[in-house]
Amino acid sequence: MIYIITALDAEARALIDHYHLTRDFTLPYTLYKNERMVLLVSGMGKTNALMAVSALLGWRIPNPADCLINIGVCGAPDAYPIGEALLIHQIFEGDRRYYPDILYPHSLRESSIKCVDGVQSVLDEYPVDMESSAMFQASARFFKLHQMAFVKIVSDHFTPETVTKERVIELIRSNLHNVDKVCAAVEKVSLSDPLFDQTEQEEIGRLKSHFTKAQASALDDALSYFRLKYPQKRLPSYPDIPDSKRERSQLLEALIKTLTH
Amino acid sequence: MKPSSKHLLTRLFSHLYIERSILDHPKTHKIRAKFSESQVIVIDHYKEVFNRSSQSFAAQSNSKKLILARKEGKFLHEGSQYSDGFEHEQFFYASSVMGCLYDCDYCYLQGLYPSANTVLFINLEDAFEQLRPYLGKDTLVATSYDTDTLAIESLTHQTREWLEFAAEYEQLHLEIRTKSANINALKSITPNSRVTLAWTLSPQEIIDRYEHTTPSLEKRLNAVIEAIALGWKVRLCIDPVIYTENFDILYPTLIDRIFSLIDPKAIEHLTLGSFRMSQNHLRALKKLRRSDVAFYPYAVSHDMATYPESIETYILEQLGIKADEYLPQERIRTWQRQ
Ligand code: SF4
Repeated sequence: MIYIITALDAEARALIDHYHLTRDFTLPYTLYKNERMVLLVSGMGKTNALMAVSALLGWRIPNPADCLINIGVCGAPDAYPIGEALLIHQIFEGDRRYYPDILYPHSLRESSIKCVDGVQSVLDEYPVDMESSAMFQASARFFKLHQMAFVKIVSDHFTPETVTKERVIELIRSNLHNVDKVCAAVEKVSLSDPLFDQTEQEEIGRLKSHFTKAQASALDDALSYFRLKYPQKRLPSYPDIPDSKRERSQLLEALIKTLTH
Repeated sequence: MKPSSKHLLTRLFSHLYIERSILDHPKTHKIRAKFSESQVIVIDHYKEVFNRSSQSFAAQSNSKKLILARKEGKFLHEGSQYSDGFEHEQFFYASSVMGCLYDCDYCYLQGLYPSANTVLFINLEDAFEQLRPYLGKDTLVATSYDTDTLAIESLTHQTREWLEFAAEYEQLHLEIRTKSANINALKSITPNSRVTLAWTLSPQEIIDRYEHTTPSLEKRLNAVIEAIALGWKVRLCIDPVIYTENFDILYPTLIDRIFSLIDPKAIEHLTLGSFRMSQNHLRALKKLRRSDVAFYPYAVSHDMATYPESIETYILEQLGIKADEYLPQERIRTWQRQ
């Protein structure tokens, strides 16, 4: 699942159309979904972002293979052309710094961003936004650093009064191809095949329930050894479980030996 | 099954994180010039990046980043129980790089560090300052202990600096342990009899399986041959031995292969050691779920995980017998539990 977060409705509009997302009313936030994505509109500013992202991730706790992408507009110095999409590698907030890991190739310009408290009309040396640091903080509790990406599209050169709702919709729409690519890249690096499929996990769970905690942990290790060493081989078939404690211990020993020989 | 494929997803060191205070350091300029395509991100302190929580060592291993920093504290640490001090009066290892370019499944760095990225401390001169007071006594320094310095020599030139430093101090012995084939870095330096180049060698099947991104056995052997020809003192290490079902073929064949190419008289020692690791590091390795090495049913005693005694003894005996065919006992060193 890809979690897409925007601060504004206008930032979400083109994404909702592009990914054919439908409205979901589970949370007291503006939420859209399809099978692959969930999109949340957090509202403007750090407090809104922190609360909304925490609520979303607490409601639907991410799986290890999920990722989160923050998409929005930002003000920037005039070295950054309006309409350019930036991929953020460093977020400043006062003395604090946050670093998403960019572990995939991409063609966007990378940049630092300063996360500020209000709309900024004073020139700054960095692009600025109002939510990224809070989104990072809320997300880092649920995602690894390479499973988060922050894509910011330059909307103005510190002239926020020129940024209309229609303009924002258009800026995001004209960068959908970039959003597609970042989503695909982050999704790919986030992918991690679980060692055991669902059926295997259930069988392993059943098997472990016959042993003590320490024995179950030794069995877990042996199964992981077997799967990592012989990825093509099927797990040995489920054994008959004897009633006596001593025989069960012998069975475990034999199982571990078979798996790790 | 690997959680992710082992190919590099982006070019090496696609990102350089550089501490602000060393932006103008000449070494920083040189490294930046080598990686002119890389993103440069200015940081205040390397720990901001290296010590972040929520990093994935496994994912980062496919796309390593370089962090340039100035070391503030101690460069030198006392040698540990897991390694051999070769009876020198003092044994230190120097930590001028954190993290390694290579990616061995059995590497304890995965348990030691929160990140797969490399931190390069550019103020090596401070390590020399810290070492000088000890150099009235016979001292061994392992310069490539928590890393493989020769692997990134073309970037750091640290090995060269160490060798130049060692040339001035008669009591200083260096050990430079490596899996690299980067012999070119040594060609312009006069060999020093107090410096030992120690190559870790493994059967190619083990390299393919567990020593990702390292040079092949043939390349390492060629580097060894060249180093000997240049006049360097060389030690060979078959350590750690990874016990597999075809151990009986792989490792003895390796020893035969080595000595079919290299005159046994030309090497100082052959070191043999089976896999061992502190239990804490092993726990961290298990969490990564990257390799079967982490999950073998090791015996744990005094916080150290080793193969069960019978297997460990078997490994060392078999290799000892094979090594005996080529070397006298006193030149075979074996790491064994105390
Ligand atoms: S070469 Fe040594 S330091 Fe580098 S990854 Fe392999 S075991 Fe670790």
